[in-house]
Amino acid sequence: MSGGRAYLLYVAFALGAFALYFLVPRPNARLAARTIGWLSAVLAGGLALYVSRNAGLDQNAFFYVFAAAALLAGVRVITHPKPVYSAVYFVVVVLAVAAILLLHEAEFLAVALVVIYAGAILVTYLFVIMLAQQPGAPVYDRRAREPFGAVVAAFLLTGAIAGQSASLGEDDPRATPPARTAVSRDHAGGASAGNTAAIGVAIMTRYPVALEIGGVLLLISMVGAVALSRKRVPTESGRQAPSLGQIGKEVEPF
Amino acid sequence: MSSPLPSVILGAALFGLGLAGFLARRNLIVIFLSTEVMFQGVILNAAAFARYYAHVEGQTYALFLLVIAAVEAGLALGLVMLLYRRRDTLDAEAWSTMRG
Repeated sequence: MSGGRAYLLYVAFALGAFALYFLVPRPNARLAARTIGWLSAVLAGGLALYVSRNAGLDQNAFFYVFAAAALLAGVRVITHPKPVYSAVYFVVVVLAVAAILLLHEAEFLAVALVVIYAGAILVTYLFVIMLAQQPGAPVYDRRAREPFGAVVAAFLLTGAIAGQSASLGEDDPRATPPARTAVSRDHAGGASAGNTAAIGVAIMTRYPVALEIGGVLLLISMVGAVALSRKRVPTESGRQAPSLGQIGKEVEPF
Repeated sequence: MSSPLPSVILGAALFGLGLAGFLARRNLIVIFLSTEVMFQGVILNAAAFARYYAHVEGQTYALFLLVIAAVEAGLALGLVMLLYRRRDTLDAEAWSTMRG
């Protein structure tokens, strides 16, 4: 049974790769190519939905709504010719994934994802996009590099994952029984402590060394970023570097 | 009984999207945005399996993944700014002098 499911998943991912090949930016993209791309993307999503439903996996309907949102926004992240829009679509991906994390009873992780990704990392990206924006639409945003090789590589990877995971959920002895205990009760002594408390207990009792290493890693990254951005580099284009306050003045608004 | 399969499929799809974008795009900033999309897929996987096995450990790993993502974003964007100031372009092809 799971063999057939794996092949359906292969077909779904192949369709997705086919769709992506038509959707990546090209200099003179025709409407027909984009239509083919979006149609096969929808077809791939429908096939994946069929596989999930057909396997008797009872998921919340919200899951499929947010999954569709995440996938559509993810496609736009990597196909939109303007980096600012890519960043904004990435916010949609983050919010959709955070909603799915809520459905998976990972409340703390969902909030942390929104705060760290949509709050901190995305703002950093937007700063850099604004700083390094070039006037007009540069050619490197309108022409993809080796789109065929890229989608083939992505298909091989996702196909391998699908082949491995197609039999998930079929008599796994380690899986939880239907009347399973909530995730949040795992480490908090059986009391109905929250998900946050359970994660805190796990980090503080089992992974204190990893926690410290994570802190040191963040410090190293901060020092490295400061050192990198303060470094004076010669411009190779011969253009005089604009003085402070003049950077970005030549760029047209979006 | 819920199975992690739909979440795993979604995670794999997000990871594949990120990989395709990483390989296909030429804008350095979008390349690093694609790695963030890959991170989303992995975090989703970790949380799905945490729920499947009713264990909080997967969520703990996902939290450390967030740390790594923050570190990566900070360093990568510093590097991007350095490269941009040097060549005055965000094109990754501008740095292909080692191509044979």
